[in-house]
Amino acid sequence: MLYLSLIVLIPLAALLTNAFNGGLGSFWRAITQTEAIDALRLTLLCSLGAALLNAVAGTATAWILVRDRFVGQGVLNAIIDLPFALPTVVAGVTFYTLYGPLSPVHVNVTGTWIGITLAIMFVTLPFTVRSVQPVLESLTFNAEAAAATLGASSAHVFRTITLPTLMPSILTGTGLAFARAIGEYGSVVFISNNLPYRSEVASSYIFSLSTSGQTNAAASVAVLLLFLALVVLAVFNLTSTRLARRGA
Amino acid sequence: MSISLNGITKHFGKDVVLSEVSDEVPQGSLTALLGPSGSGKSTLLRIIAGLTPLDAGHVELNGRDVTDVAPRHRNIGFCFQDYAPFRHLSVFDNVAYGLKVQRVPKERRKREVEELLGLVRLEAFADRYPRQLSGGQRQRMALARALAIKPEVLLLDEPFAALDAQVRGELRTWVRNLQRELGITTILVTHDQGEAMEVADRIVILNSGRIEQVGAPHQVYDNPSNEFVQGFLGPTTTLDGITYRPHEISLGLSGDRGTPVRVTDVVRLGFEVRVVVEDATGESSWVQLTHDEARQLDPQVGDSAVVRPRSEVLIFR
Amino acid sequence: MKRPPKLLRLGVLVYVSILIGAPLIFLFQQAFRRGWGAFWAALHDQAMDHALILTAKVALIAVPLNVVFGVGLSLWIVRRPSRLTRILDRLVDVPLAISPIIVGLILELAYAQNGWFGPAIAKLGWHVMFSLPGIVMASVFVSLPLVSRQVIPLLRLLGDHQEQTAATLGASPTRILFTVTLRSIAWAVIYGVTLTLARVIGEYGAVLVVSGNIALLTQTLTLNIGANFDNYNAYQGFVGSVVLALVSIAVLLVLSIARQRERRRSEYLA
Repeated sequence: MLYLSLIVLIPLAALLTNAFNGGLGSFWRAITQTEAIDALRLTLLCSLGAALLNAVAGTATAWILVRDRFVGQGVLNAIIDLPFALPTVVAGVTFYTLYGPLSPVHVNVTGTWIGITLAIMFVTLPFTVRSVQPVLESLTFNAEAAAATLGASSAHVFRTITLPTLMPSILTGTGLAFARAIGEYGSVVFISNNLPYRSEVASSYIFSLSTSGQTNAAASVAVLLLFLALVVLAVFNLTSTRLARRGA
Repeated sequence: MSISLNGITKHFGKDVVLSEVSDEVPQGSLTALLGPSGSGKSTLLRIIAGLTPLDAGHVELNGRDVTDVAPRHRNIGFCFQDYAPFRHLSVFDNVAYGLKVQRVPKERRKREVEELLGLVRLEAFADRYPRQLSGGQRQRMALARALAIKPEVLLLDEPFAALDAQVRGELRTWVRNLQRELGITTILVTHDQGEAMEVADRIVILNSGRIEQVGAPHQVYDNPSNEFVQGFLGPTTTLDGITYRPHEISLGLSGDRGTPVRVTDVVRLGFEVRVVVEDATGESSWVQLTHDEARQLDPQVGDSAVVRPRSEVLIFR
Repeated sequence: MKRPPKLLRLGVLVYVSILIGAPLIFLFQQAFRRGWGAFWAALHDQAMDHALILTAKVALIAVPLNVVFGVGLSLWIVRRPSRLTRILDRLVDVPLAISPIIVGLILELAYAQNGWFGPAIAKLGWHVMFSLPGIVMASVFVSLPLVSRQVIPLLRLLGDHQEQTAATLGASPTRILFTVTLRSIAWAVIYGVTLTLARVIGEYGAVLVVSGNIALLTQTLTLNIGANFDNYNAYQGFVGSVVLALVSIAVLLVLSIARQRERRRSEYLA
């Protein structure tokens, strides 16, 4: 439909043409600038770290929400979606004030990878939880019960039966989280302080390139970042499907 | 209303789903479209309803060619296997839907819906929602909804398949009686030959898109026109190249004339006794005996015996 | 079924409290630490008021656009599948994976004065960058798939037997659309609309690039908050943040109700 092409396709096409405007050489130069590489490395590492941590925390949270009963469970269930619903800038400024120079708890992680990772963890927690939760809910206990009657301990059952069944959804959720995280701006830009080469995330770098008029370079790095996001999604989804097929 | 099907043909891609299907459905009858999965029976029903287009042929309702007429103008009632309730509407509003479309004034609509709900014994559920109903109740609601628009033809697509055995039996009888009372021409699709035999006035047997035989239940059962029909309608045993039904053969003592067999199981089903036997080639089949016969012969598992056609059976050619 | 160990429950609760709960509480504390009076006064700050109105305008345009598009596309993809619709299905999800800064960048590349369509648009007297249309476009882009992602699976699950039955009962296609189809997906649409609204109101990066962040002109509420912080006006920024946080909480409530209602309706389906 016309609507779709106007909004999505044309701008994407414009991006590609702009990125390679000066030929392959200028594209390559733009993405191999030291500042670019530093920004990308920082972004990828923090995103991966946050995504992996939340893979564990998210699964644990989903577990508690599905298999446990306690007062306030409903509140927990609703609050998990808060990072989805809350504007990124609100999270960003709150984290900056809470864990920055004016921190009431005397924790200052501005300009560090810790601060950035923390902010990303906030934003990405819902992904794994909401990815695992429905699978967990539809799981019957038969396989686990059978394993238990065969003498397996709870830990063993979890490791050999439950976890493999959940793994596809954990992977999908983590992949989504990771892809989202590497493009994240609003929630990390404040706490990261944006020091080039030191604590600048990829999206910040692209922004600074674009506001300083280096549109082609901005487009090139953007293309790379998009490509990485797609690769990440593809890898996680493929592994997830492969695992699911084996199990089913 | 009588239904006339002429040369109905339908392809899905390269597969031929229906091939030159023709039939005359008499007014007021209950016809069963019977056949295995993939025989095209549901497709045929949907073509009659106008929900699926056909590739060749004509459909006539009461002499009127409706081949190019949209479903909403054919004045038919259709019930899906999953009942397709309008989940967001109450039972009352479900049944009233067609009347609302016809702009029937509110007062009369209310009366007619209440009458229909009484007919299907769902009066107490008028304000409930489909999710609160059992399978059998949802089926009755679907019927009431279809009947509300006073259709001239009622089309039922495997209406009892999703119900458990007891409800299925009750509902079958109930639909049969309702149909007789209302006199509405009805076509019922089913893969269950017992159901077709119990409920229908006439059975149309379909196989791979072709009609194999048409007739009253006892006709097709006793005089199957080919091996497919015979095998599909009930269990069979082949002796000397001739195929029989379990009640057409009897058991005899070892050494008597007949095909030698070994008794592998004796099942007492209350109203009949089924003796499962195995012949020399290992083929298994069963013989139906009356109580008296079973008492006389007293077959035991492991016994040797013979199987032979009963004398009064006519051999089919 | 054995309950999970209490330690796990404790661990998760502590984690979520620290990660999500603490910042939320801190946010409210910061906005109200000067009392009601100061809060009220801050709400009437000229820049913020303008930002509120602008954000509302954007939402009023972008959300209905995406709802109509989302529902229409979903119906098309599910009810008339073809190779084209399969491609569209994938294409629509793309905005979710793109960084907001990149969204802003590509809209600029395509529609700015010196962009692809820039001159053509300028000739018509329109502006995209640094004005409302651009902000609307950016908002539409980032929230594009939110409605269809909810509606498509539900449409697939429901099948079209209800619609076919309505046809045999005499209903015209239009009537069927309004009395059966749309009503059967109602709660999924509400869920999608709510997510869309939250996304449009909360968008930062994309709008930052496209609007130019000109106070009192093209500054949405999120940009206003950011600008306040950049100018060491933290308190004002927190007041704006609380407004958005309250909207988010309302959004969560609606989502929760919509989820329940939809689950109850389709209890016996799957």
